Amino acid sequence: MSTVEETGLTAPGPAVEPPAPRQSPLDAAERKLGRLLVAPGQLLLVLLVAFPIVMEIYISLTAWTPTGGSNWYVAYRDWIWFDNFIEGLTSESFLSAVVRTVLITIVAVGIQFVIGFLLALLFVEKFPGRRIATILFLLPMMIIPAVSGFIWFLLLQTDGPINKMLSFVAPGDIRWQWLSDPSFAPVAVTIVDIWQWTPLMFLILLSGVMAVPEDQLNAANILGASYWQKLRHVILPIMTPIIIIALIIRAMEAFKIFDAAWLLTQGGPGEASSTISVHLYRQAFINSQWSYVAALAIVVMIGVSIAAAQAIKPIERRQAAEA
Amino acid sequence: MSAKTLRTTARTVVIALILALFLFPVYWMITMAFKPQPQWAPTTGETYWFPESPTFGNFKRIFGGEPTDESGLGFLTSTPIDATDSIITSLIVAGLGTVLALLVGISTAYGISRFRAGGKLLPFAILQLRMFPPIAVIIPILFLWTYLQLNDTYWGLILIYGAVTFPFVVWLMRSFFDEIPREIAEAAIVDGCSNFGAFRKAILPLVKGGLATTALFVFILNWSDYLIALVLAGSRVITAPVFLSQIRSASTGVEFGSQAALALILILPPVILAIAIQKHLVRGLTFGAIKR
Repeated sequence: MSTVEETGLTAPGPAVEPPAPRQSPLDAAERKLGRLLVAPGQLLLVLLVAFPIVMEIYISLTAWTPTGGSNWYVAYRDWIWFDNFIEGLTSESFLSAVVRTVLITIVAVGIQFVIGFLLALLFVEKFPGRRIATILFLLPMMIIPAVSGFIWFLLLQTDGPINKMLSFVAPGDIRWQWLSDPSFAPVAVTIVDIWQWTPLMFLILLSGVMAVPEDQLNAANILGASYWQKLRHVILPIMTPIIIIALIIRAMEAFKIFDAAWLLTQGGPGEASSTISVHLYRQAFINSQWSYVAALAIVVMIGVSIAAAQAIKPIERRQAAEA
Repeated sequence: MSAKTLRTTARTVVIALILALFLFPVYWMITMAFKPQPQWAPTTGETYWFPESPTFGNFKRIFGGEPTDESGLGFLTSTPIDATDSIITSLIVAGLGTVLALLVGISTAYGISRFRAGGKLLPFAILQLRMFPPIAVIIPILFLWTYLQLNDTYWGLILIYGAVTFPFVVWLMRSFFDEIPREIAEAAIVDGCSNFGAFRKAILPLVKGGLATTALFVFILNWSDYLIALVLAGSRVITAPVFLSQIRSASTGVEFGSQAALALILILPPVILAIAIQKHLVRGLTFGAIKR
């Protein structure tokens, strides 16, 4: 059919049969039922997306605070137009939180990818104990974030085991102040994310490596390809889509980082390890600047939406290809 | 040594090393839970790599037991801690939140998969919802919850957990429903079933495994939450993760031992459930983009 269209010819009569519909058409009753089935879900989406956005836009244009004594719906009395946005976009602590979050995301996801990919390659071949090793390696990702924050709080104490171990391998008695030194605190937050989520990267990439067709590797072997050549010319090209998905999903999640960061350092010392989520939390619940936070939240959501619209494309393509 | 043995040895060493690095934190927490107080809060700055004379004292302590003062220095004179209520609270809100997410999510997923309802936009909107940092969405919810007097209540948390995790149900269940040929439901209807009957008798048995996986996965997500329970509750209704972070000893400032004991209890359900659904974990965490 497509050739007919491309040559601009009209199909003569009924000779070209339309492809049989994959699914039979729905009648009116079924369509109604379908709408009914998705209605509760749509309602929740309204509750969770539409309402917060409308409300946030409203509050963000005012100077309302919960400590001011008036209810939020009369916030229009303190109308200030875009002052909150201007303040946010010129606020050094917000902008540096954005930059820091992006940096943490890039570093954490990058290291997760390197370790995860290396391990996935090592786990392709069968070896005794592979199943157990896989399950053990997944443990960090199964640990709830509040607990992983606590675990690393223990480990990174100045006289905690991490410094003790470093003292074994490095000269001198190492007493790094992981949680209270401004240059170490962001590193601590990054380490927790790497520890917790490398296993997920590994799992996704392992399923990708496993899916590389054996005959293609055999063909490469016959041609006398070295391991690196096989990796570069056979494995990597086949795995590209899955790698992109793994990176996007991890980056999305790392960008939201809150629990571990909050429990480890509360964004401190000062604001040295404050991420976007931590910054918003502090502004809202410690400084009570709710209308300002609403403005920042809108800025973040717009930014994330733009990134998401780009990021979702490979995932949708893959799902379309599989359907 | 031949090249092959050398390679095998090198691989084993690398795997063992990485594994050791990633498991050490878990080891540290588990042993911490069984260490007596002088070992988890050493005043000398000494590190106890292995617990000497392990004890259940920390576990007794988080369930209201008397503080064990084995140092004899009168360290633990603080008030008793009891985590029972917070664990029950977590079970209730995470459990009922999961039920709510399943009810709404399965209905939506089936509507999308079987009747192509909701248009193309719905799956996208649902996915995008997960991309926003929760803190950006939660502040207006806090207004609304305060207005509806749902703030700091069980129902408030159940409702929000259901709303936050139902996207996962939609994406997972949709990928399971899509695997079932349409003809199965149609055949059941020809046999005289109603649409609901066809769903219950023909479709549901086929997605049982997927449904169980989805339920466990969503429960793990709800059980793990910290931020929502911190913002929307936390004074009357306290979930276990929030409780964990609030444990402080009045006299020493830290309660590492009893915190580790509670942490160990908290991670057991998700770890066991996650191992049970290990095969489908990736599908869940990638919104069904990757199937194994």
